[in-house]
Amino acid sequence: MMSGRDVVSRAAPLLACLGLLGLWEIAALVLSTDSFPTAWGAIRAIPSILGDKESLINILDSLRRMAIGFAVGVIVSIPLGLMMGRSRLVASLFNPLLMVTYPVPKAALMPIIMLWLGVGDLAKTLVIFLGVSLPVIYHSFQGAKAVEEKMLWSGAAMGLSAAQRMIRIVLPAALPEILTGCRTGLVLALITMVTSEMIARQSGAGNILFNSLDMGQYDTVYAMIIIIGAMGIGLDAAFENLRGKLVKWSEPSFEIPLSFA
Amino acid sequence: MKVAPSRPNIEDELAPARRQTNAMIAIDNVSHVFRTSGRQDHLALSNISLIIEDGAFVAILGPSGCGKSTLLYVVGGFVSPTEGLARVKGQAITGPGPDRGPVFQEFALFPWKSVLGNVMYGPRQQGVKSAEAEVQTRALIEMVGLKGFEHFYPKELSGGMKQRVALARTLAYHPAVLLMDEPFGALDAHTRTRLQNDLLNIWERDRKTVLFVTHSVDEAVFLSDRVVVMTRSPGRIKEVVEIDLPRPRRRSELLLDPRYQKYVVEIERMIDDTSEEQLRP
Repeated sequence: MMSGRDVVSRAAPLLACLGLLGLWEIAALVLSTDSFPTAWGAIRAIPSILGDKESLINILDSLRRMAIGFAVGVIVSIPLGLMMGRSRLVASLFNPLLMVTYPVPKAALMPIIMLWLGVGDLAKTLVIFLGVSLPVIYHSFQGAKAVEEKMLWSGAAMGLSAAQRMIRIVLPAALPEILTGCRTGLVLALITMVTSEMIARQSGAGNILFNSLDMGQYDTVYAMIIIIGAMGIGLDAAFENLRGKLVKWSEPSFEIPLSFA
Repeated sequence: MKVAPSRPNIEDELAPARRQTNAMIAIDNVSHVFRTSGRQDHLALSNISLIIEDGAFVAILGPSGCGKSTLLYVVGGFVSPTEGLARVKGQAITGPGPDRGPVFQEFALFPWKSVLGNVMYGPRQQGVKSAEAEVQTRALIEMVGLKGFEHFYPKELSGGMKQRVALARTLAYHPAVLLMDEPFGALDAHTRTRLQNDLLNIWERDRKTVLFVTHSVDEAVFLSDRVVVMTRSPGRIKEVVEIDLPRPRRRSELLLDPRYQKYVVEIERMIDDTSEEQLRP
């Protein structure tokens, strides 16, 4: 049985969305200009975008680049971050590089990357990769650094080698922090995905968005924003779900009366 | 005043030869310096020699900062001494190994593993088959009084329970020596007493060699065969007191035993003396 409070907390996001759409609808009706379609108008444009084969291919292209950029970014960044966290040498080698590149907007590198790699998949995937890497490296680094020395000693006493301790103690112990980095990385992947497609207009969701803007199809512009936003919310929710399962052991505990008394 | 029948110094004529024959741990002239950039080097251990025979329960007692934990870490192989050598069963210690099992004040459990997973970790690492390891592990968990908590995660347990898991986890891979680093230091008085009793009961069964670091005089006298009293900066052995009290020991009886009280008073006085020394310029 869900209590009243549960129902409210579950329905809250939905209510917020509906509220926002309601405000949009009213504002659009009041202003009534061509460049600001009503919420209903934008929503109505969604099926035609998703039903159009070419648009669908564009969106799937975007998702593919994003998935590859994210996956490669995570696969490279987690080991690097963990090694930085456990080795002073590795940290001192890579830290300066990270400090310099961390605050640089990765999309600003797009022109150079386009010069070298063209406007195709490779350039866009590379930008996504760069966007994902830094938060994942940073959080993996922090997570590995915080691993309790005594935990590693306990492992060493059981006969775990240095490499085994890295994979079987540092990695799981740092996992909550690593996954926090991955979540940020996932959102950044979506951002860099859309940005890269706005700069290198050739295919993708960002491309549809800007083409329809050029052609004055404002319904489509807003519909695409809704689609991209929904993709972000969906991916983030799916990731949070996975994260919750993987690091259930680290979430704040509920009180269970435990004592021998 | 001398505590009869204590042997105030292990350097006493007959003892070394007799002890050498079944020495489990031999610490030979170990010194350790902590080098910290910017600050003065800190001499944590200075010329420590100690022999611990197989099956002995030895407490290392001293004020905080006397290097008693560092000495334990040297035996564990977690810290390499700047000078000198420690041996276990005649073999020079060069690193950690499953013959020496640590139990830390901080528990150091693997939080992503359940109680069962934590305790099974060592046996699995040593290649014991999963089913077999689980049977042994369940028996150990029951022995430390945690039957029914096998599938709990460390965050769901109290401090005392966590330390029970840590003890079981270490016992599970059958180390010849238990290295206990202020294991009950983070627990409340009541829990502490219970765990001391349970540790003694467990120890009575197989009489493993135990090296037990503590700053509690009561705890040291209650548990051990011998108390090594250390002084601070640099960490030196001030005195070694043999605790000649019958076993099995029961706390309720021991507290009333004048011999127990005498040991406690005597050792407390030694520690006071070492503190006095600190105050002198």
